[in-house]
Amino acid sequence: MSWRTIFGKNVKKADFVEAFLLKNEKQIPAIRSLDQLEFTVFDTETTGLSIKDDYILSFGAVKIRNQAIQIETALELYPNSPNSGEKTAPIHGLIQRENQLSIRQFAEQSLAYFGSSILVAHHIGFDAEMMQKACKPFGLERLTNPMLDTMNLAIRLELGPHTDRSQVHPEDYGLDALCKRYQILAEDRHTASGDAFLTAQLLLKLLKLAAAKGIRNFGQLIR
Amino acid sequence: MNVIVHRVAEFLKRFPPFSFLSKEVLEKVAASVEIRYLEKGEVLFRQGQAAETHFYILKEGAIILTESIQNQEEIRDECDEGDVFGVLALLGRRPYVLSAKVQENSLVYAIPVSVFEEVLEQNSRVALYFAAGFASGQVVVRQDLSEGQKARGAFKNQSRDHSLMIFSDQSEIKFSEKVLTCSPELSIQQAAALMAEKQVSSIVVCREDLLPLGIITDKDLRSKVVAKGIPLDTVTAQVMSTPVLTRRKDASFSDLYLTMIKNRLHHLILTEDGTSQSAVSGIISDHDVLLSMGNSPAVLIHGLMNTLDLKEMRLIRDQAEQMLRYYLENELTMDFVASVMTEVNDIIIKQALRIAENSLADEDKVLRDIPFCFLSLGSEGREEQLLRTDQDNALVYEDVPEALAEEAQAYFLKLGTAMVEVLLACGFASCPGDIMASNPKWVQPMSKWKGYFSEWIIRPTEEAILSATIFFDFRPIAGNLGLGETLSLHIYEEIQNKKIFLNFLAKNALMNPPPLGFFKDFVVEKSGEHKNEFDIKSRAMMPLADLARLLVLSHGVIGVNNTFKRFDRLAELEPNYESLFKQAAKAYEILMRTRALEGLQNQSSGRFIQPKSIGKLERQLLKNTFSPITELQSMVKIRFQLDYFQQ
Repeated sequence: MSWRTIFGKNVKKADFVEAFLLKNEKQIPAIRSLDQLEFTVFDTETTGLSIKDDYILSFGAVKIRNQAIQIETALELYPNSPNSGEKTAPIHGLIQRENQLSIRQFAEQSLAYFGSSILVAHHIGFDAEMMQKACKPFGLERLTNPMLDTMNLAIRLELGPHTDRSQVHPEDYGLDALCKRYQILAEDRHTASGDAFLTAQLLLKLLKLAAAKGIRNFGQLIR
Repeated sequence: MNVIVHRVAEFLKRFPPFSFLSKEVLEKVAASVEIRYLEKGEVLFRQGQAAETHFYILKEGAIILTESIQNQEEIRDECDEGDVFGVLALLGRRPYVLSAKVQENSLVYAIPVSVFEEVLEQNSRVALYFAAGFASGQVVVRQDLSEGQKARGAFKNQSRDHSLMIFSDQSEIKFSEKVLTCSPELSIQQAAALMAEKQVSSIVVCREDLLPLGIITDKDLRSKVVAKGIPLDTVTAQVMSTPVLTRRKDASFSDLYLTMIKNRLHHLILTEDGTSQSAVSGIISDHDVLLSMGNSPAVLIHGLMNTLDLKEMRLIRDQAEQMLRYYLENELTMDFVASVMTEVNDIIIKQALRIAENSLADEDKVLRDIPFCFLSLGSEGREEQLLRTDQDNALVYEDVPEALAEEAQAYFLKLGTAMVEVLLACGFASCPGDIMASNPKWVQPMSKWKGYFSEWIIRPTEEAILSATIFFDFRPIAGNLGLGETLSLHIYEEIQNKKIFLNFLAKNALMNPPPLGFFKDFVVEKSGEHKNEFDIKSRAMMPLADLARLLVLSHGVIGVNNTFKRFDRLAELEPNYESLFKQAAKAYEILMRTRALEGLQNQSSGRFIQPKSIGKLERQLLKNTFSPITELQSMVKIRFQLDYFQQ
């Protein structure tokens, strides 16, 4: 039994958190080829950019298996705001939805959906932090899945692995700029699902580019 | 609607046949799409390759459909945005007649056949759209013009049908010009005798001037004669299938092929002028078509031995599945079918070893020189794995000096993992219990393996017995096969010293009684995902496999792994029970066939069968397989004195 402390309180791991961590215990062999990997491409839409103060309004995701986007796995979740009942301003055109989930349901459903797949997002650092924050009350310290950031992957593939990051113009590697460069029609921009779908298409193309550069397996992809 | 699904639906609905779908159906189809990205030079599917479970619509890019004729590639069609292609998958799951090559980087939407088949049945406009595709453009099915014209009228403004043209005319096909014929007055017994003598599977019933009246095939003899029990002196005219569909002998390959697909014919009669009003001049069978597609075991095996490319290997294994289907539907003996498929699987494993060893070529030579052996367990170990259900395997290597132990373990784990990855890439599912050569527990030196088996035999806990049922069916496949034999000998010696182990094994073999509702319907699952389905594996196959294993072990027989061969062997060893064992062998063959066909039909493991989905004859056949299980179980109960054996 593992316990941890938040705000001076002991938080016992919820069963679904235990199950999630157990699934991620077994590591993916480094030699597993790209087309055998399962990716979960996701995006969160939040009330702002502060991990401390802001929270998730919507979550959109889709999976890639056999190097193909599996539309049947497309998922959209709308968690309640942590202080629900208060006024929730329409941000990014988002207003209160009918099918809103409690934070617990949201944490449970999103972790079950992640499973032991490789998590992918554009600027994954931020999205992962937001997800971890949402799952924290149920005893999750951090997401233990392998992670892949499409921005970093694009930089690595285009400029080489040893690029001096200070020389990279961040605006050249935003989702809009990359979609344009990789000829992906930027539809449904700024909804969590829309961005997740664009990121998934971007990943499909980047994976082919990676293979052409000799990145053939899990170990080479996630370093 | 989910934003992503909505986005896909928005694209699809711009193009026929998706434009004919209602909003609800469109959403269902859109939600099932798989999006693939292919780069210039890649091949989506190849001529002769087994049809995939998807057909395609091009989202962006350019794809050409080509046909290779005598090593020459000819372009048959070019697809651009919104073109639908690869529809052969939708119609009969026959091999592709053209190859799809990527001309410009392309995004392709793959639509599962299973989802669309329903649409095809319910929506006549969509069905007509596909029919039109077959009846226009380069491939003219001469006799079916009416259908084509009707469809053309309905789609006057759509000129896209041509993209469905995946057939071509020039393919060579060998067919038999010597047709076995008989008169309508001949008795069916005489007709059957003629077929047996000439070793052919069909006979054409003709008038004296050779005008075809009907056809009798092996299948007719089974389902219309034997199953119905009609007198053998009935005349052929009463049994034959009539009227017959005919085509000209010099008709195009695609014409012949399509006629067979559309009418689900196994045999097609060829006549002088293509109508049934002229003399018979040839006959073409499913088998001829299959051969012309390069689907023979020899071709496949040769192909496998000459490639280390994973995609290629996977394609060949897919093709083997298609051959399997043909074999099963045509009731070839299970002995033959199982040996061919086992051979194919074994070669894949051997190639997997070569690939794995190549990838570890930089490792220390001392390690690479240690003798080892890759073992297949479970159904592949028993030479019974027809479908690519779970892989169960393990690796044994020769004992090494203490100093080398850790390095050797690490090396062989890498080797085993690499082989398992190749098998995964070839479509063999991962083992849910993680009994694979990528699990350190099952990659061990000989002494450790001997220890495992001794432990299971000496302390037969429930878990040990469970392991026994999987591991005792091991078969050495690749590497130093002698190690496998050493291990076998060890096991048999241990069992000779500890006979009581067999009683535990016997007890386990009785754990799964066959369905009780013998005269009624099957016993089906009561709850869960497979509610109301019959679990053919645990209800019927496992009990038989368990019984066969137990009994051959009790006779100390080594080296017979296959369940039905084990029963055949038992029949020789115990003449008193010969007929029971023969029956059991037969039963197991029927079960294997049923399960594999079910799996091929539903793209599943075939384990769960819906009693309603199979015909009455098959249901009866299945029920009959239960009686040897019951008899064998009561025999084992007495023989191993299980009534007195309480543990």
